[in-house]
Formats: sequence, C-alpha cells, structure tokens
Amino acid sequence: MTAERLQLQRAVVLSQEEVCRDTFLMWLSCPALVRGAAPGRFLMLRCSDGLDPLLPRPMSYHRFRDRDGERQFAILYDVRGRGTLWLSRRRPGDEVLAFGPLGRGLQVRPDARNLLLVAGGLGIAGLVALADEAVAQGRSVTLLAGARTAVRLLPPSFLPPEVEVVYATDDGSRGHHGPVTALLPEYLDWADQVFACGPAAMFAAMAETLRARASRRPVQVLMEERMGCGTGICYGCAVFPRRGGVRLVCKDGPRFDLRDLF
Amino acid sequence: MDLRVHIGGGKRGLVLANPVLTASGCFGNGIEFLRVFDIQRLGGIVSKGITLRPRLGNPQPRIVETPAGMINSIGLQNVGVDAVLRELAPIWATWSVPVIANIAAERVEDYAELARRLDEAPGVSALELNISCPNVENGLEFGSRPEPAAAVVQAVRQATGLPVIVKLTPTAGDVVAVAAAVVEAGADALTIANTFPALSIDIQRRRPALGWGSGGLSGPAIRPIVLKMVYDVARAGLGVPIIGCGGIATWQDAVEYLMAGASAVQVGTATFFNPRAPLEVLEGLQEFLRQEGIEELRELVGAAVSAGQAKKVYSGAEG
Repeated sequence: MTAERLQLQRAVVLSQEEVCRDTFLMWLSCPALVRGAAPGRFLMLRCSDGLDPLLPRPMSYHRFRDRDGERQFAILYDVRGRGTLWLSRRRPGDEVLAFGPLGRGLQVRPDARNLLLVAGGLGIAGLVALADEAVAQGRSVTLLAGARTAVRLLPPSFLPPEVEVVYATDDGSRGHHGPVTALLPEYLDWADQVFACGPAAMFAAMAETLRARASRRPVQVLMEERMGCGTGICYGCAVFPRRGGVRLVCKDGPRFDLRDLF
Repeated sequence: MDLRVHIGGGKRGLVLANPVLTASGCFGNGIEFLRVFDIQRLGGIVSKGITLRPRLGNPQPRIVETPAGMINSIGLQNVGVDAVLRELAPIWATWSVPVIANIAAERVEDYAELARRLDEAPGVSALELNISCPNVENGLEFGSRPEPAAAVVQAVRQATGLPVIVKLTPTAGDVVAVAAAVVEAGADALTIANTFPALSIDIQRRRPALGWGSGGLSGPAIRPIVLKMVYDVARAGLGVPIIGCGGIATWQDAVEYLMAGASAVQVGTATFFNPRAPLEVLEGLQEFLRQEGIEELRELVGAAVSAGQAKKVYSGAEG
C-alpha cells in the first residue's frame, strides 16, 4: 500500500502543544501527506535539519480536520530523545520533511456498532483518528486508556466528546489501579470489534484474556517496532507471527490480527 | 552524455546505463519500490543478500540510530535462493534495469552452489559476493584476509559465467591486499565497502542495544573512511571498476567517490530517510556533468587520485 510516487514532502507546522507531560500534539498542513491517509496508517517524519539524527520517525496519523479550505492532520508524540526534542521545538510556520501515507490502516466492519479501543501509553496516538471517524458514522466508542501515572494521560478535552473514556494507571493516580488490560473483560461482550495500540506486553495480556474467555471478538492491533525506512526495504521492523515466518510492521502492518502475533 | 559503466567482459559482460546503483539490503528486492519512482532509470539494483536456505533473520531490536548513522543487525533475512529463482527473478527479467544478485554463505562450496543456481536465471545480470556480513556467524571470516577471500572468488568464478563483483569488508587489515587477491582470483569489480562492525549499549537495560548484540554501521558517519579505502584501492590500479558504497546521500557525495576512483556508486541507507535518494543522486550527477561540460563519465573517475599523489611538505618555523 505504498503511495504512488512517494517522496519527501514539506509539511507546515500549524500548532504545537504539550498536552500531557512529555507528550506533544502537533497539527500540520500538507495536502500530499493527507491524500490516502486513514486511521492506523502512518508517515515517516524527519527530525533534524540535516543528517543527524539520521532516520525519520514513524508517526501515526493521530487526527484529521477540515480547516482553512484543506484537510489537516495531527501527530501525537513523546519527547524521548534527540529527534523528538528537536521536533518539540518547532514553531508554527516552521517546515518539517516527511513521506507517507504508509502501511495498512485499521478496518472497521460495516456492521460493527460498538467499538472498543484499548490504548497503552502513547498507543493512543494511533487510535483517536479511528474514534473520530467512528463517532461521525454514528458508532459507539469506548476507549480504555492506560498510562504509568495520571499526568501521562491524554486529557478528555483532546478526545472526541462522544467517546466514553475509562482510565487506568499503573500507580493508581487516576482511574483503575493497574494495567489497562484488566478492564478488558468488563467491555469485551459489549464490543463488536476491538482495536488496540500499545506495548507488546499489553497485547500479550489481551491475547491471554481473550483465550481465557474463549472470546472470538475480532481484535486489530497497531504494532510498534523500531523502523528504519517505513517502506519495506530495510527489514528493521520485523515481527514474528506465532505460526512461523516473519512480517514487516511497515509493509505488512502496522495493523495485524492480535491472534496472529500473540 | 556517456554514463555507461562496463563490468566484466565478453558475451556476458554487464553494461550499466549509468553509475548509480542501490546497495544490497537497502532497497529490498526492487519490487517494493516499483510504485515509488521509476526504478528503471537507475544503473542497477542490487538484491537483498540471498542465501541457500530462507532465513528469518535476527531478533529485535534490529536497528539503532547513532550519530549521523545507524547500526543494523537484520541477519540476512531473505526468502532463499529457491524462492528467488521462482518468484523474483522472473519479475527482474522483465525490467530494463539490471539486477545484481547479492549472495552470502558460510562455506565456500555454498557460494559456488548459489552461483551455479543463479547462473542461468533470467533476470540476474551479475553476482555480488557478500564476503563481509557482520550479522551472521563467521560472516566476516572470508573477507578479512586475502587467501579466504580469493578462495571464495575462485570457487564462484568456476561456477558461473556471470560478472562477479566482490563486496569487501572495511575490517580487512589491508583492504588493498584483499582487493588485489580477489581481482587475481577473477573478480570483475569491487564494491567498497560493507558496513563497519559496531556496537551501541542500552544504558537503561545494561545490555547491547541490538538483539544480536553488535551490528553494522552505515550512513553518512562512515563516508570519509570508506572514501579513503576507495582512494587507496584506486591508487593500486588493479584494473577493475570500483563501486563506492558508504554513506552516499547526495550527488556531491557520489562525485567525491567518483573522483576518488570509483566507477559507480551504491546508495544505501539514504533511501531510508529519502525514498528518492538514488534517483536524486543520479539527477544531480547528470546536472553536474552537464555544467562541467563532461561528455564521458570516465573523465571524472579518479580525477582526484593523481592530484593526491603530488604531496608537498612544508617545513620550517611557524610564522
């Protein structure tokens, strides 16, 4: 699903905001980067003016909006190292280089009425666009959002108001005290379809819950793996399906069926 | 403007339309980029490393970023030669751009076997011998010294009539000696060079950052070092074309390599951060040649080599 004639594009920074501790929301304008973009797909964003840091960072399309006569998009990212620190210092009007859209996005079944979204940490970045789209289509959406501690949770004001949000924190500072996956059994029967993004340990816990309950709910996950190219040529982002073989997150994913991997 | 590069002679000699190729492991098998840009415009495409049997590759993490570079330990993940012959070569055969099959093995007889299998494959225009992979057991063993390197080339030479390109390792104690040995053994060209064995530590977890442990360093960080190797081998005048490979991201980088004595270049890591990098290198090079009024690429190759030999030593007190 590589875009036709993929090339580096200049995107203009529209706004930049720290929405919770160390997590930034950046709105960008670039028509070429939203053409064909969809929830679950991603772009590769350069995080320097030159060649250091060298590699582009994979960023989920976090949200879309129509404003000023164009379709704009947002990314949500944590400041983790030199590249994202550089990114957090961009100001409105600055330009950044990126290419995309890339990868296979999330797929909602036409008849799915109740969608359960499970986000671990920054995994929420890849799921909010789906929530926006789903509520606009009249579907019911519940989001289970987990983080280490309350100040790392994305506040409700940065989520579509129609979404029911249930929080969990590892330290109990907000919502359920414990892993977000502990909330899963409560909502599983309600959901027609489940979508999740977060660390591998979260996916493993979800798979265990589903197996323990013999649940047949379809679960799509967005895999995160260190990526070099985003285009299927460096083989850096390999994942190993349970039944053998090897897949690339950038080309075969990032959307996978949970049960294929965990 | 004549940009052609000749590799090997005789009936099966390879003529590249231009000197810009993609580096092995940095362009998949070409097919991935069919819709990204017109890959037929390139001088050549070097396949992902091919082994006798399929390989799943190394565990995660497989890549880590370093200053102006990256370390990878993919571990030669590939579909194996059977699937290459069955599924990839027939596609390559329909392209106008030549595909060079990069092969890797752990035993001399396996290199020969791979060469035999690929010899008559439509869609394979030449072989590039990876005797320098840092990410598999004993991967560097063949390339580090002249004798084992020559032994691999001899065995492959006997197994195929295809042009044979040897990809050298920068870890060889004496790169010129290894280069001379493989040319003596029948190599038609040299790719200089593979990645540098390198390490990064995850200080939080107190262990190597890569799942395999160490890996191979690539990217702009290595360019001046590889450039020197190309220059040294060019000065030795071995009589075969050199393909420069190491940190090339722009046409200026390519020109540097050509002036240092390379007849062609491979663009590798740059394609990860700029999907059109190989094409942009080619277009920039063409524009440079036009502006310089250069009719034949050969005029540029090694332009800086003879100049570098005229050394002047200044002596006496400062000021």
